[in-house]
Amino acid sequence: MSVLGTLRAVAVFLALASAAGAAATAPLPVSEIAPGVFVHGGVQEDASPTNGDEIANVGFIVGNRAVAVIDPGGSYREGAALRAAIRTQTQLPIRYVIMTHVHPDHIFGAAAFRADHPDFVGHAKLPGALAERGAYYLRRLHETLGAEADGSEVVPPAVLVSTKLDLDLGGRRLVIWAHGPAHTDSDLTVFDEATRTFWLADLLFVDRIPVIDGSLVGWLDELRQVTAIPAARAVPGHGPVSVPWPQAAAPEQRYLEAVARDTRAAIKAGVDIADADRHVAQSERGHWLLFDAYHARNVTAAYKELEWE
Amino acid sequence: MGMTRSTLGQAAASFCLVMLTLGGTALAAPSEAERAQRWSDLRHAIFGDRAIADADGLVAIEAPNRAEDAAIVPVTITVTDKLAPEVRALYLVIDYNPSPLAAHFILGPLADARHIETRVRIDDYTYLHAVAETADGRLYAAARFIKAAGGCSAPAGKDQALALKRLGKMKLVLGDHSKPDQPLQAKLLISHPNNSGLQVDQLTHYYIPADFMQTLKVTYNGDLVFKLESDISISEDPTFNFAFRPRGGANSGVLTAEILDSSQRHFTQSWPVPAPPQM
Repeated sequence: MSVLGTLRAVAVFLALASAAGAAATAPLPVSEIAPGVFVHGGVQEDASPTNGDEIANVGFIVGNRAVAVIDPGGSYREGAALRAAIRTQTQLPIRYVIMTHVHPDHIFGAAAFRADHPDFVGHAKLPGALAERGAYYLRRLHETLGAEADGSEVVPPAVLVSTKLDLDLGGRRLVIWAHGPAHTDSDLTVFDEATRTFWLADLLFVDRIPVIDGSLVGWLDELRQVTAIPAARAVPGHGPVSVPWPQAAAPEQRYLEAVARDTRAAIKAGVDIADADRHVAQSERGHWLLFDAYHARNVTAAYKELEWE
Repeated sequence: MGMTRSTLGQAAASFCLVMLTLGGTALAAPSEAERAQRWSDLRHAIFGDRAIADADGLVAIEAPNRAEDAAIVPVTITVTDKLAPEVRALYLVIDYNPSPLAAHFILGPLADARHIETRVRIDDYTYLHAVAETADGRLYAAARFIKAAGGCSAPAGKDQALALKRLGKMKLVLGDHSKPDQPLQAKLLISHPNNSGLQVDQLTHYYIPADFMQTLKVTYNGDLVFKLESDISISEDPTFNFAFRPRGGANSGVLTAEILDSSQRHFTQSWPVPAPPQM
């Protein structure tokens, strides 16, 4: 066989192997919310074997030379399905996998991209947060999902962002911002200059109650800063895949401000931490999905933070 | 109480009900008979063969039925007015925690035994026991069941940079001082990670070292209010609500808190306690 013939045979083999791989993993449904910006909308539920922890908005942005994944998903399987979705759009190399923060629903799909040898990008505080929480999150993922969790791993970021980082996808620049403690202490956001799409990840919750796992005061500060940045649209970490900006941040800001105001008042009045949630932001109850599952916990976190003021 | 730490141990696997994005649990729960046996083992380990009377309302333990955050569960031990003057020590036992003896308060002459509150980690659905010990050696136990899990291995720290910066700092909030015949309420906040040593660094596969408050001594003008022996069951940033009777009549005084942690660090802080208003 000629060299050319050998190459052709290898190419055919690779194509078949790739087709077999694609058949095994159905692509994650994605919407192209702006040219080259694809998002899969997570379900507004807690993780379960039924939803496979596909509860966060995850996706990718395609440039002229490379692809960047923004949050690889909540399990290896979701990551693999997201990768399959990328391959229905482009064969360009997946050069970056951006992990927007430490929470499991956003990052446990990272291992599905290992073979692409991308740069795994995270906040400078993400390695520390993963050290504290990774093993625990992984064990809980297995307990919650069973076999659906198979293959999921804690993947440490190799490229760390402490303030700002530009990524070039070929004719398309992404600006990554590292934020102070807000939703968590490892929050990143991504701005796509080509379409002025602002990927807020979990700095922005829409419809689903925000979860305070970093700093309430810090989150309100960060919100004031990011809402001053003009954008054509935003991508929340939970909620519709594309929302108007900055209007979509208003309900979250209102909720967090209510929690801060009422928790401060409760502390001042000597209300015990165990009773505080009943005195805090109850007017918000009808506005949020999963309110009863997370509100009291948010108030505990807020109380613990604000009692040091 | 080294026995609780060594025998029931650091190796205990744990899991968590209450967490951020994952919910539910599927492990088999102990039967009531097994729970009773657990308490029987614990009480003998801690108190030997001494008789323990049912508190029958003399001592009570308050906690939410279901904890919102298993790493920060508020627990209050109360003692009736009648028994309180006789009480010299209070024990808080969390039966199914890896280190069940969560707190041992030794009360000084200035302490008000009627109400002490702290926040604890709870690792599994469990009974909590509060035991009051009187000056003449009687023991009274009260129990309460709580639904919470994962608090010992769960990560509580939300802002690691802040935790390091604030390590060892304390804050005291004094209550209403206008009734000199009443004990003075106080809330003491201590910034300390109180790491359980049960979290594994997934990247290095080493356990993150335990680093927790071992003793806390609170005094007023040098007289003991209480001394606490504790360990990993106390929440991150240990917090105590208590009351004491400032001695010295109309004079102002100084409240002091001294801490020794498992890394042999000492922290001390003092606060002026204003004199009560003249009647």
